Amino acid sequence: MTPEDFDRLQNLMASRAGFRLTRDRMKLAEHRLGPVARREGFDTVDAMLASLWAKPVASLGWAVIEALLNPETWFRRDRTSFDTLAHELLPALGKARGGRPVKIWSAGCSTGQEAWSAAIAAQEAHVAVEIVATDLSQRALEKARSGAYTGFEIQRGLKAETMLRWFDQVEDAWIAKAELRATVHFARANLADAPTDDHRFDVIFCRHVLGDADPARRRDMFDNLERRLVDDGCLFLGPDEQPDGDSIAFRAVAGRKGLFVKSPAALRRAA
Amino acid sequence: MTPRTCLIVDDSRIIRKVARRIVEGLGFEVDEAADGSEALAFCAGVIPEVILLDWSMPVMDGMTFLRRLRALPGGMAPKVLFCTIETRAERIAEALSAGADDYVMKPFDGEILTSKFAEVGAV
Repeated sequence: MTPEDFDRLQNLMASRAGFRLTRDRMKLAEHRLGPVARREGFDTVDAMLASLWAKPVASLGWAVIEALLNPETWFRRDRTSFDTLAHELLPALGKARGGRPVKIWSAGCSTGQEAWSAAIAAQEAHVAVEIVATDLSQRALEKARSGAYTGFEIQRGLKAETMLRWFDQVEDAWIAKAELRATVHFARANLADAPTDDHRFDVIFCRHVLGDADPARRRDMFDNLERRLVDDGCLFLGPDEQPDGDSIAFRAVAGRKGLFVKSPAALRRAA
Repeated sequence: MTPRTCLIVDDSRIIRKVARRIVEGLGFEVDEAADGSEALAFCAGVIPEVILLDWSMPVMDGMTFLRRLRALPGGMAPKVLFCTIETRAERIAEALSAGADDYVMKPFDGEILTSKFAEVGAV
C-alpha cells in the first residue's frame, strides 16, 4: 500500500463513514484488507485498491470501509453501565412508561455483544424492552444477527451462569436464546447520516464509537444522537469518553462515568 | 496493603505459567499446585482469596478438591474459578452447582480471565 493509497483510504473513511483513519493504522489497514482482497478475487491489496480508485464500485467500497472500522467489543464491556441499566434506569423507565417497552438503541453495535448484554439486563430486571442495534458493517451485523459466539467470545465478559442461562450450546457455538432474540432487532445504519424519521429511544448506547469519528463530523454525530433520544432519556458513552467541546447536546451525570443526559440547551432547542 | 492471593491448580506447568502471568498482572500474589491434593494441603495452611482450578488432574481432580475445600473451615470464602478444557454445558452446570463461582473454558486469554475476575468481584 502506497502513502497515496492510504490518503485515499483516509478520505473514503472520512467522507462515507465519518471515521478518522489515523496514520498509525496503515499497517493494520493493510492487514485487514488482505482477506477482503482475497474474498473479492484480487491477487493483492494493491490490485484491489487500484481497481477501486479506477472504478469506484459501491459494494467493493463498502467492503473496504467495513474492514477498516473498529469491530472490538465484548459482553458487558464497562460492566457498571449494565449494572446501572439493570438496577436503576430500567426499573425507573419501566415504571415511567407504564408498562410500554423501554426503547434502547445500541448504536455501533458491531458483532452484537452490547445489544445482547442490554437484553440480558432487561430480562433480569423484568422490564419489557425493544432493542434496536445498528452498525455500518453488514458483516458484523450478520454475525450479530446469528447470535452465535465462540467459546472464546462468549466468556469474555459473561459469567458461566449467565452464559448457561441465556445461550444454548450448539456444537462449538453458543447461541442467544429465543427469549433474548425476541427483544433485539438488528439493522444497518450510518451514524454520520442525520435521522430521516422521528423514532426516538429512552436509552442510547454509543460506546467506543465516536472516539474514532472524524473530528469535523463528531459534533453532527452527537447532535444526531441527541435527536434520537427522548427528553428524559440517557446516553451511555465509554467510561472515558465524553462529547467534546463541540457538542452542547449532553451533560454528564455526576458520579456516573460514561452516563449523560440532555443538556438544558438541547431541551430548550427542542421546545 | 497486603496483596491479594490466588492459588493456581493445574497439572500443566505451561498453563500454570501462563495463568500466573495474567493473574500477577491483576495484582495478585500467586501460588501453584499441580493437583487437587497438593492444593488441599496448601489450603489447610492458608486459604487464598481466589482459586483457579483445573478439572482433570492426576491424584485428585478439581471436583473432589472443590467439595473438600468447601467443607474446610473458611473454605466457603475463596472465589473458585474452574479453568478447564471441558466445555459441555452440562459439565459447566455441574461445576457451578458443586460450588464453583465461575467457569473458564480453555483456551482463554488475559482479557477473558480479567473479565471473569471482575464478574466474580475478585478485582
